[in-house]
Formats: sequence, C-alpha cells, structure tokens
Amino acid sequence: MPWVSTLILIPLVTALVLAFVPARDRRTARGIVLVGSFLALAASIVVLALFDRDLAVLQQVDHLDWIPAAGVSWDVGVDGISIWLVLLTTVIFTLGVILACQRLPQQRGGIFLALIMLAEAGLLGLFTAGDLILFYVFWEFMLIPFALLIWNWGGSERRSAGMIFVAYTMVGSLLMLVAIVATGIIAMDHTGQLSFLMRDLMGVPYGEATATVLLAGFLLAFAIKIPLWPFHGWLPRVYSQAPIVVTILLAAVMSKAGVYGLLRVGVPMFPEGIGNLLIPVAILALIGIVYGSLLAWRAPTMRLLVGYSSVAHLGFIVLGIIVIDRLAAQGAVLQMINHGIVAAAAFVIVMILARGTGTEDIDRLGGLARGAPRLAVAFLFVTMAALALPGSNAFVGEFFILGGVFDQYAWMAVIALLGVIYAAVYMLRMYQGTMNGPPRGVQDGGRAAEMTARDAIVLVPLILMMAWIAVWPNSIVAPTRASTDLAVAPAQIVLERPTDQIGVLPDRAAAVGTASEPPPGAAGVRP
Amino acid sequence: MSAATVLALVLAVVPLPSTWRRLPEWVGFAGIVATLALAVAQWGERQVAFSGELRIDRFGLLLTWIILPAALAAILFSWGEPSAAGRRPEFVGLVLAAATGMMLTVMSGDLITLFIGIELLSVALYILCAIEVSRERSRESGLKYLITGSIGTAILIYGFALLYGATGTTSLTGIALKLDTMDGLLTEPLLVAAIVLIVVALGFKASAVPFHMWTPDVYQGAPTPVTAFMGTGTKVAAMGAFLLVFTGATQQASGDWRALIGALAVVTMVVGNVGALMQGNIKRMLAWSSIAQAGYLLIGVAVGTAAGAEALIYYLFAYVAMTLAAFAIVMLREREVEAGDTQVAFTGFGRARPWAGVVMTLAMTSLAGFPPLPGFVGKFLLFGSAVDAGMSWLAIVGALASVMSVVYYLRVVIVMWSPAPEGARSARRLRVPLSVASVAAAGAVAIIALAVWAQPLLDLCAGAARALVIP
Repeated sequence: MPWVSTLILIPLVTALVLAFVPARDRRTARGIVLVGSFLALAASIVVLALFDRDLAVLQQVDHLDWIPAAGVSWDVGVDGISIWLVLLTTVIFTLGVILACQRLPQQRGGIFLALIMLAEAGLLGLFTAGDLILFYVFWEFMLIPFALLIWNWGGSERRSAGMIFVAYTMVGSLLMLVAIVATGIIAMDHTGQLSFLMRDLMGVPYGEATATVLLAGFLLAFAIKIPLWPFHGWLPRVYSQAPIVVTILLAAVMSKAGVYGLLRVGVPMFPEGIGNLLIPVAILALIGIVYGSLLAWRAPTMRLLVGYSSVAHLGFIVLGIIVIDRLAAQGAVLQMINHGIVAAAAFVIVMILARGTGTEDIDRLGGLARGAPRLAVAFLFVTMAALALPGSNAFVGEFFILGGVFDQYAWMAVIALLGVIYAAVYMLRMYQGTMNGPPRGVQDGGRAAEMTARDAIVLVPLILMMAWIAVWPNSIVAPTRASTDLAVAPAQIVLERPTDQIGVLPDRAAAVGTASEPPPGAAGVRP
Repeated sequence: MSAATVLALVLAVVPLPSTWRRLPEWVGFAGIVATLALAVAQWGERQVAFSGELRIDRFGLLLTWIILPAALAAILFSWGEPSAAGRRPEFVGLVLAAATGMMLTVMSGDLITLFIGIELLSVALYILCAIEVSRERSRESGLKYLITGSIGTAILIYGFALLYGATGTTSLTGIALKLDTMDGLLTEPLLVAAIVLIVVALGFKASAVPFHMWTPDVYQGAPTPVTAFMGTGTKVAAMGAFLLVFTGATQQASGDWRALIGALAVVTMVVGNVGALMQGNIKRMLAWSSIAQAGYLLIGVAVGTAAGAEALIYYLFAYVAMTLAAFAIVMLREREVEAGDTQVAFTGFGRARPWAGVVMTLAMTSLAGFPPLPGFVGKFLLFGSAVDAGMSWLAIVGALASVMSVVYYLRVVIVMWSPAPEGARSARRLRVPLSVASVAAAGAVAIIALAVWAQPLLDLCAGAARALVIP
C-alpha cells in the first residue's frame, strides 16, 4: 500500500469533495472535513508505525515517472527528518480544522475548509518529496490556498497582506526553480542522465564556486519562507491580517518549510558551498534572534508578539542547522516540532483572549486570571514552554542547539543566549500584562475569556504533547538521528571537522539496507 | 483546408436561405476537422512538395495541431456573437484563410513560401480586426494592424532578400548547407543585416518588444473572437517561423545570433510584464501578457538547440490552451455586463459562476507558472534549455519576470472570487452559450491533461524538434 501517497491524497480528495458541498449545507461540510483530517492523521500514524528509525535514507518510497525526459517524477517517502514534520502537519491541521469548524466563516465556509485541506496536502507533499521538482511543485502549491484564505477571510488590509505574501515568496521560489534546473543540469555531467531525485543528486561534486551559487539560490527561497532577517517583511502584516486559524497553520507548520528545505536540500546537497555561506547565514540568524526578540518585546498586540517571537525561534533553528553539528542539527529538528506545538498553543490562547475581550492589544488588558483561572494555568504552561524554561519541551531543543553551536563557534552561542533572555522578557510581559495586575479590558473580571470545553479540545492535546516531549525528548530525537547525521555528514567532511563529530556515517550502512549502530552519545549528554 | 476556405468565401456572396444560416460555420468545422484528421494521419511522414517549397514533416504537422484548434475556437467564439451575425461567411472564410496561412508558414521549406504564409495570415487578420465595420474601435484596430503589419512585411521581405543575396538560395535547407561552408555570420555583412531585419520583422508578428506597440490597441479594439485567434494562432505561426529560420536554417551561425534573440527575449519579458502590471482592462492585460509570453517563448529560439525548440513547442500547446480558456471566460462576461472586459466587471464573477471562476483560475495560475500546471512545466523546460545552453542569465531574467506576472494574473483570480461590490446591480444572468462553454471546458481539460500527460506530448515535441534541426 503506497501509504505516503495516500497520505497526500486524502486531504486533496477531501478538498475536492468539499467543493461540491452546497454553500448552505455547513453541517455536511464540517462532517466531511473532520473525517478527512482524521483520516490523514490516521494515515500519518500508520506511516510512523511502519517507519524504521535505524534507516537514514528515504523510506516507504512511492515512485512514479511524470516527465521522464525532463527527469521529473512523483517520488515521495519519509525519513527521520520528515516523519515528525508529517505528523506535526496532520496533528496541527486536525486541530486547526476543529477550530475552523467551531467558528466557520459565514461566507462560504465549505470553500474555507477546502482551502485548508489543500494547504495540508501541499505541506504533506513538501515534507515527503524526494524529487527536487516535486519539492518545488508542493512549495508553490501551498501558496495559493494560503493566499486565497488571507485574501477572502482576512482582516481589513487582507488584500495587500495577501499580495505581499505572494510577491515575497514568489521572488524566492522562482529563483529556486532556476537553481533547481541548474543543479539537475550540472549534475548530469556526473550522473550521466537528467534526474532531479535528491538521492541521485546527493554526493555530486559541484565544486566550491558552483555549489556556493546554487546554495545561495536555494537559500534565498528558504530565507523568505522561514523568514530569516531581513526577509521577514511579509510576516507582521500576514500574521496580523490572516484569519487566526490560518495564522496558526502558518506559524506552526508552514514556517517549517524553509528550515526543512535547508536541512533536506541545502546542507546535504551542497556541502562545498557551506563553508562560504556558513558565517553570513549564521549572522543573519543571530540578528533575527536578537531583533525578533526586541520586536516581540515592543509588539503592540499579542498576535504580533507571538509572530515576532517566531522570527527569533526560527533564527535558533537556522543557527542549529547552519553551524553543521550533529547535536545542533538534532536540536533543530526537535525545535521545529516544539515551535510548531508551542506557537499553535500560543495563538490559540491569543484567539481565546481576543474572543473574550474583543481586543488583541496587550496594553488594554489585565487581571484576567481572576475570572479565567483555567486559561491562566494553560497560558502559564505555554509561556514556560515558549521561554524554554528548564523542564519544558523547548528547553531540550534549545539546549541541544546551544550546546552544538557552542562546540563550533562559542561566540555565536553567547549572542544566541540573548534570545533566551529576551524570550523571558517578552513572554512574561504578555503573560503578566494580560493575566496579572488590576482587571482591565472586560467588565466581568475576565470570565468571558475563560477557556471553554470546546477550546480545551484544541488546547489540551497541545499541552499534553508539550509535556510528553519535555519528559521524554528522546522519543522524538532518537528516530531523527540517523537522518540528521546523514544530512550534515558531507558538510562536516568538507569543513574538516574532527572525524569523531561525524558519528557512524549511517549512509554506508543504510544504503545497503542493513541497520546501522545507534549513534553514540545519548540525548544531551556530551563529553 | 483551402477547399473549405474557398467554399466559405463563396458562401459569403451567395444569398443563403435563413434555414441555412449556420452553413458557413459547419463548412468551417468540416474543413478544420478534415485537415486535422489529415495532419494526424500523416504524422511521422516526411514529404516534400513543390520542389522543396513545402515541407510536411513532424514539425509542421505538430504546429498544425495547435493552429487548427485555435481556428476552431475562433469560429465557436463567434457563434451567435451578435456583432458578427451579419458577416458569418466572411468571418469563417477569413479565419480559415488565416489558418491556412499559418499552416503554410510552419510547413514552408523555402523563404518564398514562408513569406507567402505570413502574408496570407496577416492580410486575413487585418480584415478580421476591422470586421465589425460599424464599430469605430474595430475599424481603427484593423487600420493600426494593417499599417504596422505592412512595415513588418516590408522589413521581412528585405531581410529575406539579403539572406538570398548572401547565400544564393531561398531554400531553407540550402541556406543551412551553405552556412556550413562559411565561418559564421560575422564574415558576411549581408548576412548580419539579413538576420537583424528578419528578427525585427518576425518580432513584429510575434509582438516582441520593441515592436509590440500595436498589440494592446489592436487586441482591445478587435472583436474578442478575433483577438483570441490572433493571440494564439499568430503567435504559433510567428514562433514557427522563428524556429524555421533560426534553429533550422541558420543554426550553423547560432553563435552569432543567440545573444541578439536572447536580448530581445529579455526586453520582451520585462516590458511585457511591466505593461501588463499596469492594466485595469482584462483584454489589454491579456494583450500585454501575450507580449510577455512571447518573451518566454523566445528563450526557446535564443538557445538555438533542439531542446529549446522542444520546450518552445510544448509551451505553445500550453499557451494556446491557457489563452483560449481565458478568452472564453472574458467572452462570457462581456455578454453579461457592459464593458465586461474591465476588472470591475469581473468582481465577484467567480462567485456568481463558480465553473467559470475555476476555469479562469486554472488559466491564470497556469499562465503565471504555478506548478504543476503546464505553464510551469513549459517554463521549467524553457529555463532548463537556457541553463543547458550556458545562458543561465536568460533563465534568471525569465524567473524574475515571472514574479511580476504572478501579481497581475493573481489579481484577476482575487477579483473574481471577491464579493461583488455593494450596491452593484446584479448582472444579467444569461444562459451560457454552449459554443463558448465548450471552448472553456476544452481549454480547462487541456490544461490539466498537458500537465498530467506531459511526457507523451514531449516525445512528440522532441520528434518535431529533430525534424527541424536535421533538414
């Protein structure tokens, strides 16, 4: 059974079916979308169950020729990096769909849900693509549903927000297309045939100059999507204008597309180019961490605060990948998942608060904890996770990243630490500003903002997942190890890092189909 | 085909009883279907007629497969069109004549035939533009096209004459053989002048910048069925002529003209997209976008390789499908509201007619190059051929130009799906004419089919490209 292809097709078919539901029949639309998203979730769990954690290469591959003459094929599968992102996508989208069903837009709710399903299909395809062209296809594919969601259901400035979103992303992605084409054609000299399969392109010696140029082409697209400073111009407008459900999906899942591309395509495919771009990209990431944190500190609304904090957190993830270190890379993968869950939870809380009080301005709120104790507890939990307090799930991820970065470039770790400190400042500002102090913003002491049972359906699973990762991070990290090691190993060799860094080089073992030794060094423990 | 043309033109002068009023259209359909059947049946053959003047090979036949559906669509578009009602026989006859000219162009084996083909299609189109004689804009459009077109013709014949003077032959194969024995263009000033003049003239026909000035006015002024036909058929013929002269006959000297056509492609892409960005009228926007699309197509000529030709031919298929689908929707709207080709008129159209909205969205996203639609596949192949030929700069400019195009194509999509402006009179909901709806549906199906079954078509395109470079 081609499970991975099925996984992508389920939301696609759901969207198609939804398009045929009459606009009036909102109940049917809700039913269909819930069934569709739960089926996708179930399929992703099946894929996880079939996943072999010792294998570093792409597994459960479905391959179908599309345009053989141009070397393009439908090639999807999962590896240790993508498996969790696939699960994150299906989980967050299921929760997002539940949220969307709870407050379905009056106008064309069915189409709203159909577009969300299309976006899910795009993201699932992106995270499983084994062919560069297919990767690009899905990269662009998800843009249209997201743009239409913003355009039709967003805030008062939705038009310009949607346009900025599309224009920014297209600039990057079309140059990426040129880079993809160039990669395939240059690689043809080595492989003898035109192919865009990532596994064929891996290990092609491009030479330092060529690899740098090609990597830069990819990096621009990734940087815009991440968004890496100074390419974050689209983020404030889009995050604040999009319907909140869409903002949740954008922040929790779509923001991972760029970092995923960096780890899946950029680093392993062009190791010779990393040497030239490592420091510049790391500096951009560091600026993003500090600058994003400062913006979050001064952000007027809760939504913008969480949005800007994403810039900082994603800066951490980029740093973890670009310094080329096993530990940091594993931390980056873990942090992708953490950020997805925490950002989603934070936005859900923003949504509950905004619904209860009618405002998202931090300065116009206060003392809500008295009337909304359950929300206050949940919010506190999320705040702790967002500022990566020891014992929270994000702490483990940040610790991995900072540990790895410190090993390579101590100064970078020192600057990045600023981000950790600032996180405490802005998250506590938001928490204290809204929950503590004299009651402000609502008449009934905040009872309107209390978490209802319907909110809990969405929020509680997120908090449980945070707790799970906080207690047992190795359950997430262990399956990713083989694949992250394989991804950073070529760059480590090029950078002439000490060989003990590289681990067991799982590619050799995995390539012949035998299970590799579990890499030495348990989570977080380093000599 | 010619028989059907003649018959249709005869019908124009014969008074018909009112029960036979659809006869011209049926004659047109019969002619097109019969020709298409012949073109399909002859696939794979290689025949030479009139001592090499006419070359029936895979290249010409494959382009015929694009030209004939475009002509068919033009006739379907005019079906029941009130303005063309009185002149159906002339209309059909002229469309068939233009299509004959286009086929002659892409099947020519000689400069003379090439010229006759281009003239035949041009003259027919001059009249078609002005066929709504009672409407001033239509007359003006025809006159504008006639004047600029005549200049193009003069330059073309001048260029051909110089080419003949330099090589001593008018046969395309003969020119290729002659160039084999020479060391490039630059040793022969006559050849340089010839190439420049031919590029200019064909640039006029393909509406490449800076010879595009007539395009927006003529496109907007001409009756929409004619615009749709001009935008598709003429482009195919002009690109076919480009390929015959450059990738075919003068490929030996490609090193000397590649940069010239590459520069033309760059200017065309940039200016076309900037122009389209500024338009508030959808027909004008489509005119400017067709200029930009000519720029992408020229990449396939500029690289001068079989791969470039193959990508170009595939993109022509995609381009015609996308453009016809878009024009079908514009026609639907034009019938319902006054000034139906403005963006205002399109506001909320998708909500009122979801199927039309879906077709237009497909056409616009494909034109913008969103994967996995054929517009993307075509651009991907064109850019790929440019990178492969060491002209990566062309691909990069093309990619940047495409970014601009995204803005105006998506603007149409947004406008269509936006709620209708408050207080606006709800438009008349007319019954969708089957003829236009069938073109829209066929266009949409073709767009999807071209993406899913790209490979079989690409195999055909590769065959056509080989026929071109091996004379």
